[in-house]
Amino acid sequence: MYKFSILIAIGLVLYSCRKEDMEQYEGPSLEELNTPFSVVTDLSVSQEEVDFSAGESVFFTAEFSKTSEWQLRIIGETSGAEKIMTGLSKTIDSETFTWSGTTTNLPIFKTEDCTVELTFPGEEDTLTALVTVSNPKVNSGFLVADFDSGFNPGWTSFIQSGADMDFQIKDDGGAAEGDAYYNIAGEVNWDWLIGLVNFNADAYGDTHFPLNSNPESVYFNVMVYGEPDVNTSRILFQFEEDENGDGSFSAADEDMYAHEIVVDWQGWKLISLKYSDIVSLDNGIPVPAAGNETHNPEKILKVNMLHLANPGMGYAKSKLDYIIFTENEPLNP
Amino acid sequence: MVSHSNFSSEQEDTVTSPRSTGGYALIDLGVKINPNKQTEILGMVRINNAFGGFWGGGVNFDVRQLHVKGVAGNILRYQIGNIDYKLTPYTFYNHNADLLVSTFATTRIKEDVLNYESFFGNNTWRRQGAAINFALQFPKVVDEIDFNGFITRMNPTNLGDILERLQGGGNMVLSNKKYFDLGFNHVSIFDLQGTATNENAYRNNVSSMTYDLHLQKAKYTIGLDGESGISSTFTVENNENKLADYFVHTRAYFNLTEKNLGFELGYMDNGPDFRSFGAQTKRVNFDQANNFYTRYTNEQVERPISVYDLYNDPTLYSNNIVTGIMSYNPVVNNALPYGIATFNRRGIYAGVNYADSSKIVETNARYYYLQEIRGQGTLALKNFHYLNGAVRFNLSNLTKWKKSESLQVGLAYQQTNRSSDLSFENINLNSLTANVGVELEVVKNLFVLGNVFIMNGSGNEILPERDSEGTIINYQNYSVDGSETNISGGLRFNFSEDVYLAGIYETNSNTFIVDRNYTYNQFMVYYIMKF
Repeated sequence: MYKFSILIAIGLVLYSCRKEDMEQYEGPSLEELNTPFSVVTDLSVSQEEVDFSAGESVFFTAEFSKTSEWQLRIIGETSGAEKIMTGLSKTIDSETFTWSGTTTNLPIFKTEDCTVELTFPGEEDTLTALVTVSNPKVNSGFLVADFDSGFNPGWTSFIQSGADMDFQIKDDGGAAEGDAYYNIAGEVNWDWLIGLVNFNADAYGDTHFPLNSNPESVYFNVMVYGEPDVNTSRILFQFEEDENGDGSFSAADEDMYAHEIVVDWQGWKLISLKYSDIVSLDNGIPVPAAGNETHNPEKILKVNMLHLANPGMGYAKSKLDYIIFTENEPLNP
Repeated sequence: MVSHSNFSSEQEDTVTSPRSTGGYALIDLGVKINPNKQTEILGMVRINNAFGGFWGGGVNFDVRQLHVKGVAGNILRYQIGNIDYKLTPYTFYNHNADLLVSTFATTRIKEDVLNYESFFGNNTWRRQGAAINFALQFPKVVDEIDFNGFITRMNPTNLGDILERLQGGGNMVLSNKKYFDLGFNHVSIFDLQGTATNENAYRNNVSSMTYDLHLQKAKYTIGLDGESGISSTFTVENNENKLADYFVHTRAYFNLTEKNLGFELGYMDNGPDFRSFGAQTKRVNFDQANNFYTRYTNEQVERPISVYDLYNDPTLYSNNIVTGIMSYNPVVNNALPYGIATFNRRGIYAGVNYADSSKIVETNARYYYLQEIRGQGTLALKNFHYLNGAVRFNLSNLTKWKKSESLQVGLAYQQTNRSSDLSFENINLNSLTANVGVELEVVKNLFVLGNVFIMNGSGNEILPERDSEGTIINYQNYSVDGSETNISGGLRFNFSEDVYLAGIYETNSNTFIVDRNYTYNQFMVYYIMKF
């Protein structure tokens, strides 16, 4: 009887420990999910004007009758930039999403008014709001070129004398960031090379690019525009390392890493590369680097941009903007 | 292995063509070096040579196994490199939660190949790391205390935002051969802080106590065994979202030794927030794409993983421990999708095993009645009935034939239901997996093999959709009414116990996908040599 009582006591203790679990359930309520959708609280913005450059952020609030899929789309009225966020929740608040000025689809947001649209798949409701960006987000990193200040006299370039050559900085409203971008276009029917630009470290008043020595922490980022219905552009970036510190690069015994971008898309696209992932190339084929075969970002002397295209395929056109090295993570524009 | 298959589907399919593997010779070549009496270095290289490959073409080399093991100071056993390791069913254990029925004849060949290829032996996980073991012996009360420990690497740091993640643990088991075993176990998955810029380290800790109190007599054994413990899962900077829970599992057993008859009665209570990823990780990720006839029909839709694939394709299996709640197929196993360590289950089970003195009939069966502890989206709880059993008839023992003639039947039946006043909360899902196999030795060492394997499922379930943290964010209505049937036959010639040649022909039909039923036939030749 005594042992039996102990067993009953243990059973009661276990049951009482689980009582709380049995009085609650996990996840959203099935009953609620099976009721019709409606908006309980309209979409509102935490502040009408936001200065992202000062570290400010903005969040949105709304409440629905049940847990629902939603899409929040912020559109820059001047730039056409888009920030898109999707979610599944019953409310939207600062914990759901806080906008710090980042962009989903290039171009980057400018100082401009933005429309905010909240939609729900399968529902007709569309909620709207307005927010003004008084200053866009500032990205940390070493800026190589955004072309807003013109062609740096420290850069050097070589442009072939082909047909319809157009290697110009333009500010026609089509930039991915800021006001200007670098147009790279032309037809060269005797060579793959159309033109090149050398971004020399001394253009920034330094012998080498001021980068972290850990190649795992350094990211190279560039925004590239793909032009439809023309010859496919190939943009080759080369990174020349001055390993012996003599202020010059020797192709015979120092490392040069390279990455070729085949521009097979339309519109702007951000390309981000971890420096340690960039290989040495010989005619597009990975080969051992000529020097110490160690990525030394702090010894980069020069970044070369070569615009290449098949000479038999005619006119090629692309655009470049916002070339920047970032640390620890790729650019989050 | 050489194989050829053809595929046809109910919906128009002029795209999917028959497949052949031209065959390959696969050799695992091991080199064992003993630098001294107490140390062993084992390196095993896999050479895979496609038939028709010449001068090195079609030859692949892989390192299949590499370890050093030995005894230090005549006390401490150690192993470094590839280790096959398990601890207890709730702490670190490779449950086989998707192949529920016992295999025989042709399916046994497949499962043997699968287990060998995937390193699934004896419920161990194949990991890279180190393990140690030593024991102390005593003259009284406790015969022996056994100490075990292991450490493995789950993922390396990227020196950026991903921390170095390790899994380690160990146990201490006190044994008295006559009366008891008592174990204290602990396993942790933990990030090493300082190995990356991210400081929000992850932790999953599981501690348990195992016990087996028994009384052995000449005619019977009676005992009580089980495992109970606690778990906690959290990140160091987000302690408020900590998941912590406990589990209790206890089993009474009674074996009549002389009659080969045993009974068991168990109780389990695995808390809804009990997380032990070393024991809850599934062998198969059901979210991955198939490798065999990945797409079919002219619309080239993806073909989901079927039971046939589970037996046939070792590449679907993984030994990675996943720190998340993995997807499962509710028709395959809805009652205990993560094995006996499945969280949010409470209930009882009863089992019996029996073999007559001549081993003409050997049988075992276990029935579970389980219930959720915490509901999903409702206070109404799901109930689970699960019966698993196998019967083997050794006909040659009955007829006293010298040649082996055996028939085996295995089945797993599951029923899930939830009743509610709200019709959209109701659940009723039934599934049956059955395998009938026969092995007839027609002439010495030559066996005729036959198998009929059936899995069918019907009804509905409401499956949770979870975010990366494992929190339920939505539900998916799931309804099913279909079956998968595999009929196979073949011949096997045993050159010795571990060397055989087998040819198998099978036809497999699947009606689980509405309007996209499919059938395929396959012929396979296996030559297997273990030495």
